[in-house]
Amino acid sequence: MKIANAAEKTDDQKKIPQWGMVIDLKKCIGCDTCTVSCKAENRTPPGVTYNVVLQNEIGAYPNVALVNLPRPCMQCDRPPCVQVCPVKATYKLDNGVVAIDYDRCIGCRYCVVACPYGARYVDFGESYSQEMLGANEIQSPEYGVDRGKREKGKSPINNVRKCIFCLHRLERGEEPACVETCIGDARFFGDLSNPDSVVSRLAASPRAFLLKEELNTGPRVIYLK
Amino acid sequence: MAEYSHNNRRSILWYAFLILLMVAGTVAVFIRAKEGIIVTNITSTTPWGTWVAFYIYFVGMSAGAFLLSTLIYVFGMEQYEKIGKDALLVAILSMVLAMVFILLDLGHMERFWHALWYMNWTSVLAYEVRFYVLYVALLLSELYFARRIDLIKTSVVNNRKGKIAKFLSFGSKDTSEASKRHDHKMLKVLGTMGIPIAILGVHGGTGALFAVVKARPFLNSALFPVIFVVSALVSGTALLIAFYVIRNKVSGNSIDQAMVKGLAGLLSFFLLIDVGLEFYEFFIGAYGLEHEELATLKTMIMSDFSWSFWAVQMVIGVVVPLYLIFSKRTKESVKALTAAAIMVAIGILGVRFNIVLPALIVPVMTGLPEGYYYPTLIEIISSGGVIALGFFSQRSCRKAIGG
Repeated sequence: MKIANAAEKTDDQKKIPQWGMVIDLKKCIGCDTCTVSCKAENRTPPGVTYNVVLQNEIGAYPNVALVNLPRPCMQCDRPPCVQVCPVKATYKLDNGVVAIDYDRCIGCRYCVVACPYGARYVDFGESYSQEMLGANEIQSPEYGVDRGKREKGKSPINNVRKCIFCLHRLERGEEPACVETCIGDARFFGDLSNPDSVVSRLAASPRAFLLKEELNTGPRVIYLK
Repeated sequence: MAEYSHNNRRSILWYAFLILLMVAGTVAVFIRAKEGIIVTNITSTTPWGTWVAFYIYFVGMSAGAFLLSTLIYVFGMEQYEKIGKDALLVAILSMVLAMVFILLDLGHMERFWHALWYMNWTSVLAYEVRFYVLYVALLLSELYFARRIDLIKTSVVNNRKGKIAKFLSFGSKDTSEASKRHDHKMLKVLGTMGIPIAILGVHGGTGALFAVVKARPFLNSALFPVIFVVSALVSGTALLIAFYVIRNKVSGNSIDQAMVKGLAGLLSFFLLIDVGLEFYEFFIGAYGLEHEELATLKTMIMSDFSWSFWAVQMVIGVVVPLYLIFSKRTKESVKALTAAAIMVAIGILGVRFNIVLPALIVPVMTGLPEGYYYPTLIEIISSGGVIALGFFSQRSCRKAIGG
C-alpha cells in the first residue's frame, strides 16, 4: 500500500505537510456527530453533505451486524474527478487536498459522475432558511474566501462542492471539524509525509485498508478494520 | 414554394405546432435560467438527466448524418446524392441542438466559454468541446462547397432569397465546369478529413467521455465508444430517410423508391451490428457478476424504468422496424419503410437515455442513496422547444439556401 510518496519529494516540497486522515472503524459507533459537525462548520445546504456515515447490514439473520463507514472525501492522490474536469476547476493542492475553484467551475457535473466514492455534491441552491433564522446571511469561508450572503445564481450555488478537510481550519492550526468532534476518537489527522506522525504510524498498521483500492486512486483517507 | 400549394393545411398545422413548442420552450428556458438547475430532477446521485441524453442523441445524429454524406462525397455512391444536401444540413443543425442541450445542462451557463478558454489535458470532455468546434467548422465549409454553384445561380435574382444567396456565396461568381470540379474535390478532401474527426473525435470521443469513468463499471467498457459510433450511423440514416420521404411527399415530388429501399437496407445492417454489440456489452458485463454492473443491468431491464429499454429501445427501436424492413408484405412500401425509420430514430433515443441514466441510478457505494429520475416538466418542455427549433431552422435554412 502506497500512501504518500514523501521519499520522492524534494526538500522544498517536504516542508509542505501532506494531509491525511485515519478512521478507526472499530471505534466508530455510527452517531453521525461527524456529519452534523461538518454541516455546522461548513454551513452546507440541504443535499450537500461533505461527510456521511454509511450504514450497511452484513450477514444473514440471525447472524447480522451493522457496519458503519464514515465517508469524507478521500483526497485521492490520483483523483478521477481532477482527471475529468474540462476546465481544471478542480485540482490537487500542494498539501494534497483536492480543491474546487467555484468561480471557474461551469457546473457540468462530470466530476460527480467520475468520483468512485460519491463524495461530490451539487449545490442546487436549497437552504435551511425555513428551519434556521438567517441561514442565508453568512457562508463558511471555504478556501479562505468570504462570499458574503448566499444568493441565488451566485457560486457556490449551481457548482459542485466537496469535503476539503476543513482547509480553513487547517490554515489556523486546527483539525477538521469531524476529527475534533468525533466522540469515540475514531478519527486521526496529520501529516502523512512525516513517518513519525500518528496517521503515518496508524496507516502502517496491518488493520489498515483503503476504499476501492483496486481503482488505484490513492486515497488519503485510510481506514482501520 | 411548391410546399405551400400541396398539403397546405397540414404544413400550416405542423408549423403552428412547432411555433407553439418553441414558445413554451422559451418560457421553460427562461425559468431554468432564472432559477438554476434546481428546476430539474437531477440530484447528486443522478447528476445527469434528460438534457445530457438529448445532447448525446444529437451528437450521434450529427455524426451519423455526416458519415452518410461521405458515402456520396467521398466514396462516390451517387445513388444517394438526393439526400446529400440534407445530410450536411442535418449534421450541422444536430450539432447545434446538441450544444444548446449541453448549455442548458450547465450549472453556470454564463461560463460556457470557460470550456474553450481553459484546458485540462487529461479531460476527455475538454478535447470533445474542441472537436465539436472543429467539426462544425468543417461541416460549414463542406456545405459551402456543396451549395456554392446553386447559391450563385440564386443570387442573380434580385429578391431577399437572392440577397441571402449573394451573401452566402462570399463573392464567388465562378460557375464554370472547372470550378465545379474544384468544389467536388474540396468536398472529397473535407469529407475525408471529416471521417476520422467524426468517428474518433466527435462521436467515439463522446462515447469515450462515458467509457473512461471507472467509477461506473457499466460505462467503463472499451466497447462503448464503438457502440456510440454505430448507433450514430443508425439514427443518422433513419432520420435522413424520414426527412427525404416526408419532404418530397409534402412538396408532391416523386420519391426514389429504390434509394429508400437501399437506405433501409443500410439501416437494418447498422441496426443489426448495433444490437450485436450491445448484446456483447451486456453479456460480458453480466458475466463478471460485479455488483454495480448487475445492479445497473437490473435497473435497465427489470425496474420502474425498464419500459424505456423494452418498449422504446427494443420493440419500437429494433423489432418492429426490422420486421417492416424484412417482411415481404412491407419491404416494397415507402410508407412502411419511412415508419420503420421514424421508429428507429425514436428507439435510439431510448438507447441514449439508457446509456446516461441506469449507471447513475445505482449508487457508487452501498449505503449511499439510490437514484431515481424522471424529468420535470421544465426539462420536457424545454427539450421539446429545442427540438422544434431544430425542425424549424432546418426548414428555414433550406429555404434560404435552396434545395
